[in-house]
Amino acid sequence: MLLQISEPGQSLAEKAECKKRVVGIDLGTTNSLVGYVKDATPTVIAAATPDGANSALVPSVVYYAADGSVTVGRAAVAAGRTAPARTVASAKRLIGRGLDDVKAIAASLPYALGGDAQSVHIKIGERAVSPVEVSADVLRHLRVRAEQALGGPVEGVVITVPAYFDDAQRQATRDAGRLAGLEVLRLLAEPTAAALAYGLDRGSRGTYAVYDLGGGTFDVSILKLVDGVFEVKATGGDSALGGDDIDRAIATAVCGSSINAAAVAAARDAKEALTDAETANFTVAADGSPTGAAITRAISRADVAGWIAPLLDKTARAARRVLKDAELAADQLDGVILVGGSTRSPMVRDFVRALFGREPLCDIDPDQVVALGAAVQAEVLGGGVQQVVLLDVVPLSLGVEMMGGVVEKLIHRNTTIPCGANQTFTTYADNQTGFDIHIVQGERETASACRSLARFALRGIPPMVAGMGRVEITFMIDADGLLKVSAKEINTGIEASIAVKPSYGLSDEQVEQMLVDSFEYAEQDLHDRNVAVERIEADRILAATKRAIELDDGLLTDDVRAAAAVAMAHLESVCGGSDYLAIRNGVAALDLATKPFAQARMNRALDASMRGKRLDDVEQNVNS
Amino acid sequence: MTLMTNSNAPAAVAPELLTGSNPFALLGLDANFALTIEVIEAAYFAKSKQWHPDNFASAPAATRIVALSNSRALNDAYKTLKKATTRAEALLAVSGIVIGDHERLDATFLMEILEQREALAEARAAGQLNVVTQMQGAMVARRQGLVALLAPAFAAGDLNGAKQHLIVLRYLDRYLEECDAALDEE
Repeated sequence: MLLQISEPGQSLAEKAECKKRVVGIDLGTTNSLVGYVKDATPTVIAAATPDGANSALVPSVVYYAADGSVTVGRAAVAAGRTAPARTVASAKRLIGRGLDDVKAIAASLPYALGGDAQSVHIKIGERAVSPVEVSADVLRHLRVRAEQALGGPVEGVVITVPAYFDDAQRQATRDAGRLAGLEVLRLLAEPTAAALAYGLDRGSRGTYAVYDLGGGTFDVSILKLVDGVFEVKATGGDSALGGDDIDRAIATAVCGSSINAAAVAAARDAKEALTDAETANFTVAADGSPTGAAITRAISRADVAGWIAPLLDKTARAARRVLKDAELAADQLDGVILVGGSTRSPMVRDFVRALFGREPLCDIDPDQVVALGAAVQAEVLGGGVQQVVLLDVVPLSLGVEMMGGVVEKLIHRNTTIPCGANQTFTTYADNQTGFDIHIVQGERETASACRSLARFALRGIPPMVAGMGRVEITFMIDADGLLKVSAKEINTGIEASIAVKPSYGLSDEQVEQMLVDSFEYAEQDLHDRNVAVERIEADRILAATKRAIELDDGLLTDDVRAAAAVAMAHLESVCGGSDYLAIRNGVAALDLATKPFAQARMNRALDASMRGKRLDDVEQNVNS
Repeated sequence: MTLMTNSNAPAAVAPELLTGSNPFALLGLDANFALTIEVIEAAYFAKSKQWHPDNFASAPAATRIVALSNSRALNDAYKTLKKATTRAEALLAVSGIVIGDHERLDATFLMEILEQREALAEARAAGQLNVVTQMQGAMVARRQGLVALLAPAFAAGDLNGAKQHLIVLRYLDRYLEECDAALDEE
């Protein structure tokens, strides 16, 4: 530490380390990223890739080896080529879902699914892996990446989710964060995150549409930005529509209805080639096996545009609906922001241009914009910035089931949070002493077509004639979007309430158990983390010492120079190893060995600052 | 892109609970139908900046609860005022005029709207979405015509006239909700 005293280059930010170390994570279907606000500028954290490039994108792919080891990212993609059945991609399409919800895509996934109507899991050999665990593995990887870059443990995180995720999908994502050892400060809607990144960049005012077509989800939102206030006017979309579906549509058009993972991969390659070329080749073995006869077909942008038109029409319907909910016409917008890897496709861009009648904005990398916005919101919640206020909405209506299975909505979609609503219901039978309350989410009119969030009962109502018992049901949503429901019988004052924690098949106990199970990993994890942190400190002190010696060699005595050289060599040698205590001791030893040198530099710095000043000035400074 | 760091720390604000059900007063506005959406929005944004719970994340629990409650009240007030019909109803409520669930209606209008709703239900059941869309368009136009009568009614101090328009508008809005539900189904 003493070495730094005469280096005025140290930034103020490093000195004011009182605020939390927070990051924003874009947990994507295909790729994930982590970002943070560095010197007041949001930035994504890149790392070297095996091919020597530097990339912030981490493929959301996890490889579960037979020996129990877990690999994430590019290495997992590589492993997936030889062991597709042990490699999980697109877990985001499964998270918080039941087996029935994902029937449509199950056939084109290279791994086998199991589970029930409440929750789906992935069969890896003998093991059943929950999509929550897969997402947690991706998040853990990003956490380690962030901790290496930030030089210390991450204290809080904002994770983005599609705006159109329902409560079960959100809860599952939150649990994945917890499982990865992260404190989730907030789940933030992806389009809102994108708007945050754009809004701050341009300091702009105005009303924007965000068209977000990712790997597996589609969102469209209307946001208004005014002087640091971001108001979500309306949001809509489809949490099961994305680039994966485009790939399947192309594969189906070329190969017929019985497509497999190889055909989908060939479709993806062709689609990506079409980003820069008018035509591309679609090549796949006819039966998907390496020995089968190959199909090769040249496909054009126009072909693909025709094949994916039904999918894009779905996005147009959602876009028209949010415009209507926001009570705006397309020509009243100030801009259209593109988000998500799928919006790189020229076919998608042409469609969006025609849909909104204007050239869309894409000057922030559509792959990074969500993570950058998440980093901004993390900074806000971590206490770093307070001039941004985000007025978010409930994406899907919330209500209760009434007699006959009909839904009565208490909070309509696109209501700004925090919010509350109450409504009074009457008893329907004579001497009814209980009232069952079933809370559902969705736009459909029958409870069975909506997502069930929770059930609870109000008991102990005294016997009365039908219609005399009056139960007031109150919904309260806080700024995190968490719902609390209470019920009160008005005549008697009997009350019951529930904090709605949507069930997606994993109970609290099961998540706890997963946390316990992961302690075996966690020990290794913690160790790796310690090693990483100590290495960063060692690198820092080595670099600082070298620099100080270069600058002020004259201040070194021979024995101090020799001791420093020994300590540096020792630290460099242990730094490559995985014994973090050895590294920590090496750092301490180097600190000790260079103490006389640091003292000499400090004395000289003090001399320099006193030169030319009168003695009473100096005294005053010392006293103050 | 660069973030501004904070200067006006909201933590210094005394935790004063906003109470009352008058949405105009909550947003610090005069009770007036002719408020523009820009004025309403500016008042709402300014108050939201002051009270949003995110700005109180590390404040004492009592302050956090006040912020949450205020923020909820502001959101509700804004929702009421930004829409012409609910703004008009709120204005009547300020003057002590409440629209009940069983207001008397002109019998001819009642017959007509019942028939319209039947026709809508038939088109919906038959899956004729283009017919539903047409009916929706006609009703939206009719509604606009009626909403346009509110401003002159309030300007002339004819609160009862405004009330009669609002009663009819409730029926038209319910009809439009059914159109939306039909079109959302596909």
